[in-house]
Amino acid sequence: MIEIDDFSFRYPRAEVEALAGIDFTVPAGQLCAVAGANGAGKSTLCYALTGFIPHFYHGDFSGSVRVDGRDVLAEEIAALAGTVGLVFSKPFNQITGARFTVREEIAFGLENLGLPRPEMVERIDEALAVTGLVDLAGRSPYALSGGQQQRLAIASVLAMKPQVLVLDEPTSQLDPVGTREIFALLRRLVGDGETAVVVCTHELEWAAVYADRLLILDRGRLAADGAPVDLLAAAGLVDHGLRPTRYTEAARLAVEQGLAPSGRPLPVTLEQAREFFR
Amino acid sequence: MSDPFTLYTARESALHRLHPLTTLSLVAFLFVLSLVLPGVWAPYLLYGAVLLPLALAGGIPGRFLRLSLQAVLPFAISLFLIQGFFWGEGTPILDVGPLSLKSEGLAFAARSTGRILAIVGSFLLLSFTTRPDALMIALSQRGVNDKIAYIMLTTIQIVPRFQAKANAILDAQRSRGLETEGRLGQRLRALLPLVQPLVLGSILDMEERAIALEVRAFGRRGAKTSLAELADTGRQRLARRLLVLAAAAAAAGRLALVFF
Repeated sequence: MIEIDDFSFRYPRAEVEALAGIDFTVPAGQLCAVAGANGAGKSTLCYALTGFIPHFYHGDFSGSVRVDGRDVLAEEIAALAGTVGLVFSKPFNQITGARFTVREEIAFGLENLGLPRPEMVERIDEALAVTGLVDLAGRSPYALSGGQQQRLAIASVLAMKPQVLVLDEPTSQLDPVGTREIFALLRRLVGDGETAVVVCTHELEWAAVYADRLLILDRGRLAADGAPVDLLAAAGLVDHGLRPTRYTEAARLAVEQGLAPSGRPLPVTLEQAREFFR
Repeated sequence: MSDPFTLYTARESALHRLHPLTTLSLVAFLFVLSLVLPGVWAPYLLYGAVLLPLALAGGIPGRFLRLSLQAVLPFAISLFLIQGFFWGEGTPILDVGPLSLKSEGLAFAARSTGRILAIVGSFLLLSFTTRPDALMIALSQRGVNDKIAYIMLTTIQIVPRFQAKANAILDAQRSRGLETEGRLGQRLRALLPLVQPLVLGSILDMEERAIALEVRAFGRRGAKTSLAELADTGRQRLARRLLVLAAAAAAAGRLALVFF
């Protein structure tokens, strides 16, 4: 579904490449998390996957990015809108301001795609149901909480039925409950086996629970690619500017203090911690 | 349902039910009238006898009156002071120190204030009774470029958006101990830490808003559709044509009076 091949990108006047030699594929039905310290290249990767690089953010690039067989670097952003969707961190700025209600806000993208009204209504209802916004359909988007606005941003993109959904720190302004809801929603989305989701996040605990795969970016390079629980328990995580989950840290401390036996794999998730400390 | 960034006030009135282009035509006609009506008092009559009753019919007389006066008052004060006291040759009616109030200056100020009041009233009537998104859709359906229609819509929202952002920044700066009250000098000094984040933040917001629009295929070429069905009737279409004709006739009549 996503094929990114030896992709490098440098912003104008930047001395170093924001992304260098990035190479991976994400098949349909996979929830792929991307982690990395600030400045590691996560947002740049999101823009490259959605065509905003090089069409909106210009710079020097090489390699190729293909989504659902389409050359993202060659096609116009608007032409890709029904194929790949982007959600970013600030919910407020994703509200177009062009429509008055949640339902109409979701319709905005569908109107631009030129869909007939009955299909629009069907897709809007579906997106509202999936994101749990049915009861808020008649409200002004500005009257929603940050978490609700983020779900609206996701609903607006989902209604356009992209084969690939890219999210750049979608939970950075949400509370723990809202964060969990978003990850659970992304898990459900890939459940249809037809959609691929790439989510850049600092929420490693939830990535470990919900993601199929984790990519770690470090100063523009792909530093690690594997199962989230394996990568997050690895000792070298801090070298990439990432902090282990609280469960891993607690377990490591317990082993160091002699409160837990050594030699066992350290837990990453709550479930694993429960087993570890049993 | 309300949007904090527009003046639109939902009511069950005939004015609210009009097709957005009908209201726009009506307002355009009233706008032209406020400019071409002769005499000092005609624009006031237009405001009192036409705009105010329409606002009453739209269920928004209080806000309409309050906002009209709030908008016009600063202009009125400066017009009366400047034109009244600094009118070139004229008939003095009152001496205040070295200055004298001229009747011609006062008449000019009164005429200009009346026009501003009628123009402001016309646009407030449109803003209070017409959903800006419906107006944008109606204009797009009539062939107006989507981007122009969107710019018109966001222009309406820009002041309240800026205000909301400025308040948030002001609160943040106050919480860090910035003094924003007190003497004029102190207030001016407090402006600096407000302006920079406001301008830079707004530019960044604009960039993200542009991305959000592109994600939603706003730049896509080809036919677009609309979820909203804007009710229109033959009578309204006829009324629109008549209003446009009447506006053109009023403007032409005024020009004829000037030149012949």
